Amino acid sequence: MKRTRSVCPFCGCGCSFYILSEGDRVVGIEPSPENPVNKGMLCVKGWNAHEFIHSPERLTKPLIRKKGELVEASWEEALKLVAEKLLGIKEKFGPRALAFLCSAKVSNEENFLFMKLARAAFKTNNVDHCARL
Amino acid sequence: MKTLAKKDINKILGIWAQKHALLAPAKMDNGDCIFGAFNEKTFTLDYKKPPLSPKSFFFPQAEVIFRVENNKYNEVVAAKKGLIFGLRSCDMMGIRQSSSFMFRDNEDIYYKAKQSSAAMVVMACPHAQNETCFCTTTLSGPVAKKGFDLQLYDTGDVFLVEVGSPRGEELLVGIPLAEMEESKAKQKIDEFIKKARQSIPEVKLVASAMEKLKDKKVAEKVWDDFGAKCITCGGCAFVCPTCTCFNVYDHQYSPGNGLRLRAWDACLYGGFTREASGHNPRASQALRLKRRHEHKLLDYNSTDIQDGLCGCVGCGRCSDYCPVHIGTLEVVKAIAG
Amino acid sequence: MVGLAATFGSGAMTNSINDFDEADLFLVTGSNTTEQHPLIGSRIINAKQRGAQLLIIDPRDIPLAKFADLHLRHNIGTDVAVLNGMMNVIIEEGLYDKEFVATRTENFEQLKEVVSKYPPKTVEKISGIAAADLKKAARMYAKADKAMIAYAMGITQHTTGVDNVKSCANLAMLTGHLGRAAVGVNPLRGQNNVQGACDMGGLPNVYSSYQPVIDAAVKKKFEDAWKVEGLDDKPGLTITDMMDAAQKGELKALYIMGENPLMSDPNTTHIEQSLSNLDFLVIQDIFLSETAKKADVVLPAASFAEKEGTYTNTERKAQLAYQAVSPPGQARPDWQIICAVSKLAGYPMDYASPADIMKEINSLSPSYGGITYERLSNNTGLQWPCPNVEHPGTAFLHKDKFSKGLGTFMPCEFKPPAEMPDDEYDFMLTTGRVYYQFHTGTMTRRVNILEREAPEALLEINPDDAKKLGIRNKEKVEVSSRRGSVQLKAEVTERVPPKVVFSTFHFNEACINLLTNSAFDPVAKIPEYKSCAVKIRRCA
Repeated sequence: MKRTRSVCPFCGCGCSFYILSEGDRVVGIEPSPENPVNKGMLCVKGWNAHEFIHSPERLTKPLIRKKGELVEASWEEALKLVAEKLLGIKEKFGPRALAFLCSAKVSNEENFLFMKLARAAFKTNNVDHCARL
Repeated sequence: MKTLAKKDINKILGIWAQKHALLAPAKMDNGDCIFGAFNEKTFTLDYKKPPLSPKSFFFPQAEVIFRVENNKYNEVVAAKKGLIFGLRSCDMMGIRQSSSFMFRDNEDIYYKAKQSSAAMVVMACPHAQNETCFCTTTLSGPVAKKGFDLQLYDTGDVFLVEVGSPRGEELLVGIPLAEMEESKAKQKIDEFIKKARQSIPEVKLVASAMEKLKDKKVAEKVWDDFGAKCITCGGCAFVCPTCTCFNVYDHQYSPGNGLRLRAWDACLYGGFTREASGHNPRASQALRLKRRHEHKLLDYNSTDIQDGLCGCVGCGRCSDYCPVHIGTLEVVKAIAG
Repeated sequence: MVGLAATFGSGAMTNSINDFDEADLFLVTGSNTTEQHPLIGSRIINAKQRGAQLLIIDPRDIPLAKFADLHLRHNIGTDVAVLNGMMNVIIEEGLYDKEFVATRTENFEQLKEVVSKYPPKTVEKISGIAAADLKKAARMYAKADKAMIAYAMGITQHTTGVDNVKSCANLAMLTGHLGRAAVGVNPLRGQNNVQGACDMGGLPNVYSSYQPVIDAAVKKKFEDAWKVEGLDDKPGLTITDMMDAAQKGELKALYIMGENPLMSDPNTTHIEQSLSNLDFLVIQDIFLSETAKKADVVLPAASFAEKEGTYTNTERKAQLAYQAVSPPGQARPDWQIICAVSKLAGYPMDYASPADIMKEINSLSPSYGGITYERLSNNTGLQWPCPNVEHPGTAFLHKDKFSKGLGTFMPCEFKPPAEMPDDEYDFMLTTGRVYYQFHTGTMTRRVNILEREAPEALLEINPDDAKKLGIRNKEKVEVSSRRGSVQLKAEVTERVPPKVVFSTFHFNEACINLLTNSAFDPVAKIPEYKSCAVKIRRCA
């Protein structure tokens, strides 16, 4: 059994827990006893944070809309389409025709990169996130 | 009596780790003490009880019990030859009580496969780990009476080794050992236990609380007050060494492919007893807390109790890890007071 | 955030979660703390047991209210009036911290003038709070030694959200409940990295650590570091403006990472129209959310358990999370996806790991300068500001001076919510969350136990109203606003006052944001989730 230190994915308390895993399967949650926020405790959501990770409804392949339907595609095709479309729109309508929404649920590093993508790669300050909501 | 030199402990664990999936206490770089796969760098003898009891090794919080692959059913009864080093006597009693429950009537094959393939080395408690320890009251400590393969008594430079089973004898093969004269060893153990008992005083209120519960003399207000505070995290059941309730559900990945899981459930959650009609026989948090403590202190199956006092093993985790202080100790105080 | 930044110069929780164990009095307003921040709520319950006082200002009878010494159930949207009323009493009775006001603040005279218009009798008419109770609350808060204000979305999600926050800040400054341990103004963040997303510059007007995009020196600094020219020096669009721009056809493409605005944003119909009006919508997520179903491209991302990274909690503390398991199928960590897109867009970003990205954050973001992986790996987190690797982090802000120097009183006048009940739409709808579900439910609705505990949307309605309308408990009702209508079961409960109903936005079967009003605060652009006018009828 492997124990991996993590942070609860739900509210802003920032409770720390270990993810218990066997191979690639999460088998449980153990709160961090010394973390000053939660001191070995969790709420109902934190204690049960193991399950959605392995939900059969997780997205496992890129999807592209073709003839009105979302169909599975390769990463290569999907990424190329995203880059080309965004560049094309920037070219035609200017950078302000693009917008990027960061996430209150992904890491600091990812939010930083995402705003860098918007600002440095596409030259737009149309960057926001849903925290005002 | 056989002894182990404390300075050899890392080496000995290394030897055991070659043939077993060895779980041992570890001190992590952020200060946390937890039980994990043995690692020489993080291993520690200076450890406290971690939030999860060892039940999590035999009965994981979320466990796949079978898979269906292309319409073919595959039962998952996973077990490795394991060894748990450093169990405390309260947790040993927890394992004995849970195993009694899991083995009788309809034997739980998933639990049994893991439990019976794991060797257990108990570390007798030289003193209370913190103020919530009350194993001397629940007859489950400071030392284990049964169930272990080996029990170690820390006497400073050496561990006295009590062998509890043939598997325990086997564990000692090829290990550097010394001998201590039986009478001297017995004296050392008696002293050890005496000192330990002094630091874990008996909580007399437990007996009177059990009596009051039996005589139905507990005011409803006790439960109402606790019910008002409880935030329904379910943590008390999850950290409890003798709580074994689970829920079963299926994940379908595609037609003919999926798996069945079981995952810990808690009697503190409203949906645990809600009937299909919507009626809930334990409609309030007060009633759910009442039921939980009646079960632990009063109604625990007499076979499963083994030679303990009740369904509580006195580890104190529910008091340590309840966000609003509704552990067994606090409940006992409120009932008896 | 905007409100606090204006008054103090920094828009985050002033104090720490551990401070809740030391406070003498809690003023909890617009926060259902035990259900939404359970590990903070539990500390307030415990504090009560050790003798602390609890003052709650909330229209709903939240679970924490059982423990309150005083619970003011004001009319929805009258927060500014209530807080001004408290300040009126505090000034009138000379209970304010004269030294603090004199040495640490400015603009006191203006505050005095504005709050003088809110004597308890006037506030009673606006808010429904009895003058005697208001006076009691004011005295309790002013006289306590260590008094903490904790608030959440019940304060911010109004058209007057910024005014509400400023009023909280005014109250704390007036009484000197700032700049020490166990006091302060503490907005409780609703998601695990809202604070981090803001800190990292996930906002239209600032880079990381709130460095303004309009500042030429800042622009130059980022241009040099990022080796680009011509960074945009005008603030961009907020999410609310983006939706309007999309509707008008000015915004052509939207790339959304890990959010579900179709469920979480107000006035769903408007959002749906905006999204359909786009030429190109990219969604990067772990589930096919309601919004993802509208996308042109959906990119599968790794969940929190499948990648490494840091998250910053509500008390400004960054903590490190490691990877436990592999992502399912071909899903990838968000940072890798972003790098791949950027490379194809002609701007390669090469990072070996999240730790590598953090090094860039350290060098470009003053408040995160000392928050390194090396340090985070062997501690329990670091609170910003943490400018260098020797710095221990900051447990509470504004110790000797405010981030901006003197704290500025920003008095506000009471303004009613944008949409008030009338003859036709005669109820006020307010929205929030339940304990067992989270946000739009994409994660928690896929957890059996949580879904079992709270499987469906309910409309809380007061027993008096239910009786008048002939609605029994768990009976289906239709609730309609000017923007849409939803059917769901009623829960008849005293938790809501008469003429107020409450529901949640977790459930796509009864998407409550079909009803809510996208009228928003003019400064912070936060929509008014906490009140809109609705009518209710029993379904046949």
